[in-house]
Formats: sequence, C-alpha cells, structure tokens
Amino acid sequence: MMTEILIIILGTTMLYVFSVSRLESYVKALSAQGFILFLLVLFGISRMTWLNVAFLVFETLIVKAIVIPYFLLTVIRKSETSREIEPYLSQFYSLLIATAIFAFGFIAAFWVRTTGSHIRPLYFGISIAMIILSLFLIVNRKRILTHILAYMMLENGIFLLSLSVANELPMLVNIGVLLDLFVAIYLFAIFFNKINEIFDGSHVDALTELKD
Amino acid sequence: MTGIVIILPLILAFASLALNSRVVNRLALMSAAVLFVVVPICRWYGLDWELGLGGFLSYFRFDDIGLFFFFIMGLVFAGVAVYSLSYFRMHNLKATEESVFVAELLAFTVAMAGVILSTNLALLWVFVEATTLTSALLIYFEKRKSSLEATWKYIYICSVGIALAFVGIILLSIGSESVGSLFFSDLYEHASQVNPVWLKLAFAFLFVGLGTKIGLAPIHAWLPDAHSEAPSPVSALLSGTLLNSAFLGLLRVQELVIRAGEEKFSNFILILTGFLSLLVSAVYMLRVKNYKRMLAYSSVENMGIMILAVGLGPVGLFAAMLQALAHSLSKTSLFLTSGNILHEYGTKKIESVTGLLKRDSVTGWIWIASFLSIVGIPPFPIFISKFFIIRAFWFDGQGWLAALFFLFIIVVTFGMGSAVFKMVFGESSLESADASKPGLSAYIPQIALLVMLLIIGINMPQQLHDMLEKAALFLSAGSGGGVLGR
Repeated sequence: MMTEILIIILGTTMLYVFSVSRLESYVKALSAQGFILFLLVLFGISRMTWLNVAFLVFETLIVKAIVIPYFLLTVIRKSETSREIEPYLSQFYSLLIATAIFAFGFIAAFWVRTTGSHIRPLYFGISIAMIILSLFLIVNRKRILTHILAYMMLENGIFLLSLSVANELPMLVNIGVLLDLFVAIYLFAIFFNKINEIFDGSHVDALTELKD
Repeated sequence: MTGIVIILPLILAFASLALNSRVVNRLALMSAAVLFVVVPICRWYGLDWELGLGGFLSYFRFDDIGLFFFFIMGLVFAGVAVYSLSYFRMHNLKATEESVFVAELLAFTVAMAGVILSTNLALLWVFVEATTLTSALLIYFEKRKSSLEATWKYIYICSVGIALAFVGIILLSIGSESVGSLFFSDLYEHASQVNPVWLKLAFAFLFVGLGTKIGLAPIHAWLPDAHSEAPSPVSALLSGTLLNSAFLGLLRVQELVIRAGEEKFSNFILILTGFLSLLVSAVYMLRVKNYKRMLAYSSVENMGIMILAVGLGPVGLFAAMLQALAHSLSKTSLFLTSGNILHEYGTKKIESVTGLLKRDSVTGWIWIASFLSIVGIPPFPIFISKFFIIRAFWFDGQGWLAALFFLFIIVVTFGMGSAVFKMVFGESSLESADASKPGLSAYIPQIALLVMLLIIGINMPQQLHDMLEKAALFLSAGSGGGVLGR
C-alpha cells in the first residue's frame, strides 16, 4: 500500500513541474523524485542481493537525489539569465495535457494487468506516464536548462520502469548505465555553460546557425 | 584477443594524455591502427589467444557478423589515423591538443568496438551511449560557435534517443521473463518464448533509439550538423563506423525478431524508414549548399539503403553487408578529401569552390573517384549492392518499389554529381597556389581505400566474399537460410 502511495506522489511531482514556473522548483521536484525512488528501492529490498541494494541506494539517494540536483542548482545560479521557464504552449493547456497523460498512465496500468505479465501494474503505468510527460516537457520548453532537467526526469521514469521488472541486470551493466548517465549530465553542464557564454541567452531558438 | 582490442587502446589513450609528447601520440595512433586491422584478420584465419580475464570476457565476443563490422572499423580507423598526421600539421595543433585529440579518438573507437563485440543487449546499450559521450568532445574539437551548436544537438538528441532504446530493453525483459537474461545467445535460443506483444513494443523503442544513432529519417536531425562541424577525420569515423556499429546493434535485435517469427512487423518498419531516409536525402541533396553536409545526407541515404535491404529479408542481406563495407570505405575517402578541400579553400560552401583539378589535381581526382564510388558507378562495388537490392525487390514481386528506389538514387546521384563536378572543373577560385598543400598522408589513405574498393568491385577476393557471406548468414539463419549473392 505504501509503495502505491509513493508512486502516485512520484507521478504528481511531474504534474507539479507543469504547474510551476521557476527553474529552482524543477530542481526541487527532481531531487524529490530521486528520494522517492530511493524509498521504493528500500521497499523492494527483500528481493535483491545486497550488492545490488548497495548500488541502487547509491544511485538513487546519492546521485539522483543529491549530487545531480545540487550540480544543476549551481549551474542555474551561475548563469545570470532569467530563471523563469518559457513554454511554447500556455501553462494552462500544458497542465491540461499533462493531466491527460497522467490519466493515460493509469490506463496503461490497467492494460498491463490484463496481459498476465509478472510486473507491478502501477510501477509500469506511472513510469510510462513519466516518460511521456518528460518528452512533452522537452518539446514544450525553450530553455536549454529545462531540457537537461527533463532528460533527468526521463531517466527517473526509466528507472521506475526498470524497478517494475523482476529480472535484474548484471552488475557490469548497472555500473555502465550509471556511468553513462553521470558523464552525460556532466557534459550537458559543460556545453550548457559554453552555450550561455557564446550564444545570446540559452534558448534553443538561438541555435539556428546550422540549417539547409 | 577480444580483451586486447578493448584494453590496449585505452592504455594508449592514457599514455598519450599523460606523456603529452608528439612522438607518443603518433606511436599510439599507428599502433592502434595496426591493432584494429590485424586483430580481425588474425581472427579470420583462426589465430587467437586470450588474456586471463575470466568472467569479463563472457561479455565480449567476435562472432561472424561482429568480425565483419570490426574489419570495416579497422580499415576506416587506419585511414583516419594516417590522415590525422596531416590534420595535425594543417591545423598547427599544439602537443597538448594533439594528445587530447588522440585520446578522444581512441576512446571513441573503443566504445564502438564495445558495441560491435557486446554479447549482452544491455551492455551494447551502454557502449552505444558511450560512443555519444566520447565523440561529443571530438565534434566540438575546433571550438567554433557553429560546432558548439552541432555538438549540443548531437549529444542531446542522441541521449534522448538512446534513453528510449533503454525503455525498449526493459520492455523486452518484461516480454522475455522466462528467458531471464539479456545475453543474445540466450535470447536467440529461447526466442519462441518471448511474448510477441512485448517484443513488438520493444522493437519499436529500440528502433527509435538505435535509428537515431544510425541517422535514419525522420530522426536524423543531428547528423548533418555533427558531420559537417566535426574535424574531417572525425567526420570520416562518424560516418564510416559509428553509423555502422549502431546498425549492427539493430541487426542483432532484428535477428531476435526473426527468430521469434515476427519479422513481418519489423520488415515493414525497416522498409518504410528506409524509403523515408531516401526521400529526405534526395530532397536535401538538391538544395544543400555545404559540401560536408552533402556528404552527411549521402550517409542518411546509404544507411536508408542498408535498412531497406535488411527489411527485404534473406535476399537483401548480402547486398546490405556489401553496401555497409563499400559505403564505409567510400565515405571515409570522401570525408578525408573534404578535409583537403577545406584546408585549401578555407570554406565549406560548394559555390565558393571551383577548379579543384587545377588547384590540386590529386585531391580533385580522388574527389571524383570517391564520388563515382559512393553513387555506385561500375566497377565500384556499390553498383553491385544496389543492383542486388533492385533485383531483390523484383524477386519479391514489388517492381514499383524497385522503380521508386531507382528514382531516388538517380536524384541523389544527380544532386551530388552536379555539386562535385562544379567543384572540380573550371578556373580555380584562388589565384595563387601559395597556401601550403596538405602532406602526403592526406592522400595515401584515400588512394588506398579507393584501390581496395576497385579490387572488391572488379574481382572480389574469395576470402572477403566468404566473410561477407558468413556475416549475411547471421540474419537469415533464423528463417532457414536464403538466396545469398547468387
């Protein structure tokens, strides 16, 4: 029961993201997601080997809840541009669409129950909703920083999806996945800072030098 | 030997970073080139030894198709390594810049080797993502405003795409619960136990993810930017091997789909996307104004052709393999030559380059010959692979698709040809020949690659033919063998 509540809270952090307009709030939501994922890992502890638990705790609590949000927060504070996010679609309609996607997540959860696969329906449904919501966030925002944050939320959605599956990945793969994620965020930040320096502002609209 | 090709280049990369000397950089490049060329040849002749690495090695293996793609990678890397010597001189790089370039180049190549050799789908994913991360800094190597934009688009689009591929992997592991492993050998063996609904969903996600890296339309947006902004040797490596290694990843997934008996679904997607890529490249080829971007669109076209050929089933596979080999060698030659042109004219605009033959006749002739090779004028081998594909359509009773295919490749040939011939003929747009000519190592790789292509096209060595056929058998084995290169 507890896990169900946590997962629904996790889903609502995505809705929260669509209803606020300051970048700092996005980072807070991201950090909260990392923490909820950590709690979810703790609830599933009985099914895993200790090595895997240690690894997942490190990944969620340290990396997802603390290090990456802190890192992104310093990047935001360093860039002196306005901190408001700028959507293409108005906030009201975005929230409306986001709610519809969230509802779709529950439909997916019901559907997956009927297929008879051994996966936990709510994990599956909400993670699918999170993935779609993150993609929607990417196409609906102009700021490059929002793109980085949305990418992290996409990764969180995928992490939740991987928790819904009984099979464990080999340790080598887990380490590789985390390493890739880490380097990706690091490179994102480097190039974000560069773009901030060289282009006027950090909008994707400014990136139009290359075209045919 | 599988351990060596992963570990030794990494050691060389660290060495060139740490020692920071021009001699070490060159030694590292050359020894890596020799390694990447020699290892697949040794493997082919059955020579092999292993480092005592135990469990680590169960994750990497040379199989027939992996060997073939590694062989291509080795040839392309060797060409790029030799050319890089000239690149260093043309751009007057400092020793530190050289070291960074060499280290990144080696790390990038190791990541691609990892993609080719992985025996586990999830590990393959790790390496595909690693190729993105290691090549991002190479694309930004010349540090222009435009290369920054290209790098950002590349790293962001590919990361999101690859994240979606990971969704595909998870969906597959839901559907293959009874198999309980993501090793290709286990998946292939128990393919019939994989739930078809989940398999199709997984294929769709994996296709989007790997397709982004392959550069298939409509998710090719990063490709022309990255290829045109990267240093020319890096463009060659991107086009000649990166696209191929992602393509191999897709082939491994396709093999699973075939063995599970769901290839109707995937073949439809492959053929549709193949035609879409052809359409996009044909349209852009007519309006593109930058010759490196033109080459990039030609990559979209060629990857589209390969995907199309795979979608045709067993009859198309030999053609797909031949196309992969010939495209990599020709495109490497083209991109390296574009580096010479860029050096001599200082512009990437097609309209500002004329009289290449008068200015530098060797570069001009290489440019023409590579163009003839890439569009498939006989005796170059792409003619054979395109011919096989048209014939495969015919066999399939889809003559009108063959006609459409023919139309697209004619448009691409026309668009590319008019640009290439405009550049080589006429009076040189630069008055004097005072600018330094690129060194000898800026010509040798292309000439060697073109000679290889001619040999393959005129009289393919039996060994190479066997290698191609074995690689092509990888896919058709599941569907009970097929017509191969007859």
